[in-house]
Amino acid sequence: MNKNQVEKIYRNSLKEIKYIFPMFFVAVLFSALIELYIPNRIIYAVLGKDLLLSIPLATILGVILPIPRYATYPIALTLYMKGASIGVVFSLISGEVIVGSLDRDIMELKYFGSKSYVLRMILCTFFVMLGGFLIEVFL
Amino acid sequence: MTADLIYLVIENLLKLSPILVVAIVVAQIIDSYLSEETVKKIIKEKSIIKVAAVGLATPGPLVAYLPFLKVLKRRGLPLSIIVAFVTAQTLVGPMRSFIEVEYFGAAFFVYRVIFSFLTAVGIGTCYRFLEKHTS
Repeated sequence: MNKNQVEKIYRNSLKEIKYIFPMFFVAVLFSALIELYIPNRIIYAVLGKDLLLSIPLATILGVILPIPRYATYPIALTLYMKGASIGVVFSLISGEVIVGSLDRDIMELKYFGSKSYVLRMILCTFFVMLGGFLIEVFL
Repeated sequence: MTADLIYLVIENLLKLSPILVVAIVVAQIIDSYLSEETVKKIIKEKSIIKVAAVGLATPGPLVAYLPFLKVLKRRGLPLSIIVAFVTAQTLVGPMRSFIEVEYFGAAFFVYRVIFSFLTAVGIGTCYRFLEKHTS
């Protein structure tokens, strides 16, 4: 690795840290609020007990909620520790990335058409839900 | 209660931040080795499996690749290849590996990588099927 590469890695890492950390802080704050104020039995009842309901719910929440990149992790970890199933964690994390940032989605829509975009979203949502159910079997 | 909240936020930040920083730096290191040219060369090969695999390994935002994909689409690259890459690239990335292994264990991350790869290949194949039967 030469000096230029190291410099580039350092610069890009700092840029990424500056971009991610404010949102990460909000996510940590949000997960602390869940940990303190939402009882385990409610989390378990909604996101742990009935997988037929909780996995599609987590996937759809992941898709529609404006959770920024990587901010899902502290929230998913808190939910997991409070009784949410591993399938729910999988669905929430994978669902979050289906719809990306606004700029990415607009570009995808413009470049490849609305039909392709919508079809990809539907197929991704279906696969993520399927993955959520299968992880319960395998892990 | 406010003191509890502040304490918990600080505790979680101290616990979770180091792994995020490591993940960011490692992703940048991988990015410096997996050049844009290598990724573009593989995309041009038009293999759904190869494109899905390279999509999984590619760090960074997808936005950087979309204009290139648009040009290739205009030159005849099938949509099935594009969606396989886009899906794989968005579902998992090297940066996520450290966070997921630390938070949920290696088995969870391995499962997510395998399933994301199959998802990308599956969606690419669905598009290929549609391309064949609608044109």
